[in-house]
Amino acid sequence: MREIQLQLSQTQKVRLQKALEHLESLSSKVNSDASVTIADSIPVNHEDGVLKGHGTADLEGEVVATLCGVVERVNKLVYVRTLRSRYKPEVGDIVIGRVIEVAQKRWRLDINYSQNAYLMLSAMNMPDGVQRRRTALDELNMRCIFEEADVICAEVRGFQQDGLHLQARSQKYGKLSTGQLITVTPYLVKRQKQHFHHLEQYGIDLIIGCNGFIWVGEHVEVRDDMVEDQVSQSDPQVLIPNKNSVSLEEQEKNYTALETRKHICRAANAVRVLSTLGFIITLEIIKGVIDLSLSMNLDIHDMLGSEFCVLVAEKEAERRSSNKKKR
Amino acid sequence: MVGLSLGEQHFIQGGIAQDLRCDGRKRLTYRPIHVETGVIPQANGSARIRIGATEVIASVKAELGKPSLSQPDKGKVFIYIDCSSTAEPAFEGRGGEELSAELSTALHCCLLGAKSGAGAGIDRTSLVVVEGKICWDLYIDGLVVSSDGNLLDALGAAIKAALSNTGIPSVKVTAGAASDEQPEVDISDEEFLQFDTSGVPVIITLTKVGREYIVDATPEEESQMSSAISISVNKKGHICGITKRGGAGLDPSVILDMVSVAQYVSGKLMNKLDSEIASAEAEDES
Repeated sequence: MREIQLQLSQTQKVRLQKALEHLESLSSKVNSDASVTIADSIPVNHEDGVLKGHGTADLEGEVVATLCGVVERVNKLVYVRTLRSRYKPEVGDIVIGRVIEVAQKRWRLDINYSQNAYLMLSAMNMPDGVQRRRTALDELNMRCIFEEADVICAEVRGFQQDGLHLQARSQKYGKLSTGQLITVTPYLVKRQKQHFHHLEQYGIDLIIGCNGFIWVGEHVEVRDDMVEDQVSQSDPQVLIPNKNSVSLEEQEKNYTALETRKHICRAANAVRVLSTLGFIITLEIIKGVIDLSLSMNLDIHDMLGSEFCVLVAEKEAERRSSNKKKR
Repeated sequence: MVGLSLGEQHFIQGGIAQDLRCDGRKRLTYRPIHVETGVIPQANGSARIRIGATEVIASVKAELGKPSLSQPDKGKVFIYIDCSSTAEPAFEGRGGEELSAELSTALHCCLLGAKSGAGAGIDRTSLVVVEGKICWDLYIDGLVVSSDGNLLDALGAAIKAALSNTGIPSVKVTAGAASDEQPEVDISDEEFLQFDTSGVPVIITLTKVGREYIVDATPEEESQMSSAISISVNKKGHICGITKRGGAGLDPSVILDMVSVAQYVSGKLMNKLDSEIASAEAEDES
């Protein structure tokens, strides 16, 4: 039974237990022969030379598992894949990262992986949209594009010699502002067709990063650079990033509207509830949780309470069983 | 803690100004508080408090000692806080020492009052056994297990809960000892006197962000603060101690306003804490 960090009363515990057991019974059974725990010996044909991969060890001639997980075999390689592991980037993954350092011709981002990722200056679109060679001036103006602690959405390009590289060539990638970043464990986000979601009825953007960072924020219209007129620039110069010299009153006018803010907080709390319960995070289930909270007229903060968590678990069990019956 | 981008900071400040914080709370709402008492059986009293993701443990140990010469009719209380490295990687080794010292001083100020003992939250005269010769020394230790903002409030609440859980062994003094000799005492193992905690205050930390004050700030909100005031208020609504943190200066009228807000919030928090402590003790006994 997974441990859930919630204070539940006795009845709530019973209800949650029932809902989770129902969900377990609905899930398709993985071939149980393949699951191993530590010190289980892996059945292997010793006559074919076998390569012992990650999570295995050689103990008295037997191949023994050193991790709990599922045994995978690829030709002669035998390894144990854990079910809950660190984020492992694949080419084409949408990730959200935070800038740690502005280095020469590149930014270094933290993407919740064992290494930091690099976003090269050449892998970014220039602010004026022109396709050109990056000059020394562009390098000096890097801070105007992204600074330390900025939240950026990008795509994994691949592993190069010096590490993991990202690219942000399309207009939908780039800096994310006006919103909040929520961190969940990476295994709760499975690779889907769409990671960028725009919830029209609430007016918010939801970006589900494969690395476990989820961004909920105000909707930003994706600009098409080709359509925009070229903004004529005066002599290229080194730009100094505009630090907020804005007065308090002006800042107050720029705050997000209360309605949009309510929707952002509701969506963020929906993600937090799902993360506490350990359910896979997809757009459908987030929408379901938001609708459930709206239908109950629940206060946004009460969504993080134990009663709502139990209700979400029960509703999810219902939804999956009805899905299964339809098939 | 890595910093926040300008957009995120703006979002947090806007939320506080509009009375809707990032997790949906109002400005003066606390996160759910959970209390467990009696977590350390070897100590005279202990409690574990969880406010949101902040988790702290407090323990009280009582030992017999000699009262100080300047205050022969009062016992001694020592408060020491330790920030465990499991709370933050930065606390490893000596990294947490500065924060621990700051928290210990703030708690001393809020709970123990002046050097002469006037206006203290914890009544030290109840700790004396034989005036001038023997008194109880209370060693209160706090451990920060997980840090998610608002450590001072959590520690104050944990100490209050631990003190409610404290049982001081009853002491029998052998009569007929000469006045300049150390009297002999017999510490009972069976009888315990519950420490009187009706006068112990709760600590409320008000964090000022922009023009508004919030209660129970998360680390992201704390990074946006201009200043913070921690006020300890007791059941009667009296202020037992005030500490100010943060670089920005505050107008005196703002401080008075914050004090009145703290008094208002303390009523609700005191009731919530008392009921949680009572239910935790009831569960402990069952």
